[in-house]
Amino acid sequence: MSVQPKTFRNSSKRIILYVVLVGSSILMMIPFYWSVVTSLKLEKFVFTSPPQWIPNPLVWVNYIHVLTKMPFARYFANSVFVALAVTLAHVFFDTLAAYAFAKLKFPGRDQIFFVMLLALMVPFQVNLIPLYKIMAAFHWTNTYLALIIPNLTSIFGIFLMRQFLMTIPNELLDAARIDGCSEFGVFRKVVLPLALPGIATLIIFTFMGTWNDFLWPRIVINSEKLFTLPVGLALLQMKNTSNEAQIMAGTVLTALPMIIVFLFMQRQFIEGMTAGALKG
Amino acid sequence: MTAIPLPLPRRVTRSVKKYAIPYLFIAVPVISLIVFLLIPMVASLWWSLNDYSGLQPPKFVGLNNYIQLFTNDKIFGKGLVNTTVFVLLGMSIGPTLGLLTALMLNQKVRFRSFYRTAYYLPVMTSLVVVSTIWLMLYNRNGLINTVLQTFGVAKVGWLSSPHVALISIVIASVWQGFGFETVVFLAALQSIPRELYEAAMIDGAGGGAQFRYITLPSLRPVIVFVYIIGIIGSYQVFDQIYVMSSGGPVYSTTTIVYYLFTKFMDLRLGYASAIAYVLFAILVVFSYIQMRISRERA
Amino acid sequence: MYNKKVLFSLVIIVGLLLSSCASATTQPAAPVVPAATEAPSAAAPSAPTTAPAENVTITVWDYYGEATPIKPLIEPFQAAHPNIKINYEAYDWDTTQQKLDVVLTGGTPPDVTTVDMTWIPKYASLGAFADLNALSGGSLNGVAWKDAYTAGALKAITFNDQIIAALYDFDTYGLYYRSDLFEQKGIKVPTTWDELMAAAKALHEGDKYYYEFDADTFHGSQWIYENGGTLLSPDNKTVVFNSPEAVGAITFNDSLLKEGVAINWTTDQGERIQGVKDGRIAMFSDGPYYMGIMKSAAPEMAGQWKVAMHPTSKQNGSYLGGTGLVIPVGSTQKEAAWEFIQYAMQVENQIGVYTNAGAAPALKAALSSPEVNVADPYFGGEQAFSIFLKTMETATPFPYVRTWTDIDNAFTNAMQQIALGDLTVQEALDQAAQTAQEALNQ
Repeated sequence: MSVQPKTFRNSSKRIILYVVLVGSSILMMIPFYWSVVTSLKLEKFVFTSPPQWIPNPLVWVNYIHVLTKMPFARYFANSVFVALAVTLAHVFFDTLAAYAFAKLKFPGRDQIFFVMLLALMVPFQVNLIPLYKIMAAFHWTNTYLALIIPNLTSIFGIFLMRQFLMTIPNELLDAARIDGCSEFGVFRKVVLPLALPGIATLIIFTFMGTWNDFLWPRIVINSEKLFTLPVGLALLQMKNTSNEAQIMAGTVLTALPMIIVFLFMQRQFIEGMTAGALKG
Repeated sequence: MTAIPLPLPRRVTRSVKKYAIPYLFIAVPVISLIVFLLIPMVASLWWSLNDYSGLQPPKFVGLNNYIQLFTNDKIFGKGLVNTTVFVLLGMSIGPTLGLLTALMLNQKVRFRSFYRTAYYLPVMTSLVVVSTIWLMLYNRNGLINTVLQTFGVAKVGWLSSPHVALISIVIASVWQGFGFETVVFLAALQSIPRELYEAAMIDGAGGGAQFRYITLPSLRPVIVFVYIIGIIGSYQVFDQIYVMSSGGPVYSTTTIVYYLFTKFMDLRLGYASAIAYVLFAILVVFSYIQMRISRERA
Repeated sequence: MYNKKVLFSLVIIVGLLLSSCASATTQPAAPVVPAATEAPSAAAPSAPTTAPAENVTITVWDYYGEATPIKPLIEPFQAAHPNIKINYEAYDWDTTQQKLDVVLTGGTPPDVTTVDMTWIPKYASLGAFADLNALSGGSLNGVAWKDAYTAGALKAITFNDQIIAALYDFDTYGLYYRSDLFEQKGIKVPTTWDELMAAAKALHEGDKYYYEFDADTFHGSQWIYENGGTLLSPDNKTVVFNSPEAVGAITFNDSLLKEGVAINWTTDQGERIQGVKDGRIAMFSDGPYYMGIMKSAAPEMAGQWKVAMHPTSKQNGSYLGGTGLVIPVGSTQKEAAWEFIQYAMQVENQIGVYTNAGAAPALKAALSSPEVNVADPYFGGEQAFSIFLKTMETATPFPYVRTWTDIDNAFTNAMQQIALGDLTVQEALDQAAQTAQEALNQ
């Protein structure tokens, strides 16, 4: 309780706080609510005035249409596999490298980090063709490898973790070193526990980024067996023919797994991690 | 050679031994950087000096593509202006909302996970999905216009009026994006040791003073991160434009990367690469200034 | 102990990655430019050789989606050609174009792919597709190319005296109109612009029954052709879409909007089919493929629509496009690929374009077949295809110049400015013509 700054002790200020929190949360949720509602409507009720806030009648035809037209389970499994593999790799490689950049001294450290930042500044669209040629040279096109190997680490992730690790006091690390810990021991015993909120953030963004990646998989993957969910869904949304209700059903189906992962993460990870961090 | 070891190699060997651990820690990212980013970058940098379609042999043209961009390409100029407006608006609203919401979520409040979910969900959702949803909301007869109508406001051409379209894209992007800043700020706020606040309170520091002397300085590395990543990311805005407006009407939402993409689709790889390197130069300058500022303050 | 174990396995992992990447670092030349030049273009003029005897696999890309007429051909084709196996891959329209860009410049292209004819200017001028005339020995299923297609279609598939695509379905614009409303209000189907204006005025009510148009080159060029103008001069050297004929044409289009009887279908209106269904649209101009879309997306409107020639001022005219089947020059199985194209172009398989996708087969023989020329109950029991066949006689493809995209963009932008009322027709077209001319001169 003592963490709580005095500002909000005042009860009228608390009321304002709640009004802002609840009001803005509802405003944030409306687009999602609206897309779910739309996906459960008959097409002719999508654009009505006044808006139909509760679908009447409530129908599942749009979902049935989407699910019968594509191997949803297969796309889903591909997406999960690729996102999990990439996320695991990131937590390990990004955090390790970030620790080196934030807390260890070695020649060329700042120069290498600077070059990494520079590479962030070239839009992916331009690297698309050269990267495709590299994949072709390795014979990796149209395989899971093309989705995973170029994404084992990310500059974004290293940068994010570096900024988090920089806030760890050096005294803690030195203390562990004096206790005889190796660098990896320091990393595992001191750095990792303190970096948990940052790691949770990294997991969320990496999983999300991989799950939602669209441009690269649709270029490098040819066979339907390897399609990820966003790529598979794009196939359904043919120009001219699809109606808004069906599009929204597809949209909800793409977004839903991510949202479930997040809600799960929220309970299992974030709460636990922040509790640990506050104690630390 | 073996009899009289040269000093330099020995120094290198020694330093490699000494620094083996850090180099090992960064090995995978560095290799990945070289193979999957730097090599493609060198290729596209070379293309930017050529007239290159990918199908015909490249024809070296020196700086012609760059000269063309700045002297004879009105659409590129428009794209530069549009993108800058997008970045200025987005980066002034997004991080502010992110910090405010993070500060609110860092309080002891009821139903905290509900608010957090509300702010985070858009970030969890892909830009393509978000853009599809907003495309429907911005429809002439969509939710926003019908709600406005009940208040007697005339229909707005959210995506069909050249004066409004870019603002509409900014609104959708901020809605989607500020939760990112909330996540990062909140994680950073929760990493601040509570002893610091306790000590400050014993010293009699009020809420404002605590914010200024403890919260803000502790957030500095993360604020730098948010702005650098944010500016780099928003200067590369693409998905929203691709799904919602295709750069129109009358180029009012054509951004640098969207324009680059149309050139890429037209198989003008040299010209598209030149656009990318102009953007690169802009971002390098921005990031340099930001890092200078943050270093001076620190 | 534990730490050392982890560190050890890390070393192993890094070592593995290093060694697997070692081959990569020897490759830096590959992605850099010189290597790219040896790609497709070098293999360009491939002489026809003997038919493939040993077993081959060809990759076919198809963007038709659900109602594809191509997928049903695969089984029977493989049965008839036991030595050719087909690797069939389906993508949406956007993805097909993007993937094609990437694989044509840096990978293994498919052996056969569907292409939108609007992509042809870009690809053809870069020599991306094999000459089918050489591969075919001058005839398609035993019929000379010039007899297989109408003159307009032949022009659309010819570039630099080569045949670069087999036109599979065609697209020309006719007038779709609400025949039920015309009947109710006693309006005559318009054949001239003046009659169109009168009909549009008589139809329009409040927020309903508009003449719908898109501010784009497909629709803009149609007005210009109908008024005796063109986009470029016959030699493709001069931009002429600001000629008096063109300005007059676009001014008429604009007057429909100014009179409040036409609606400019901007993106925030949603898909056009929405407006067709909810009554906002009573007339529009589009191609035969839209008949298939209406039947599948608006089945309840059967009997309310008909198709006619688009009204004209001086002469009939329309853009001519559609879907072509092409063989990328980088294909290593051109013979087998040609076999497949030829199979898809057989009359009975061409009819499938209509029966499966509801689009218009491009082959003359298929167009005159009884299966296609049935009375269509959806369109008032009339033979709607005969209208589009007639439109095809005077339709013309977009000019095949390398900078077509820039010209298209400039013109589309002018159309949007005019619709928004930002500039007068003359000003907008003059400015666009100047931009387009600069692009053309490059």
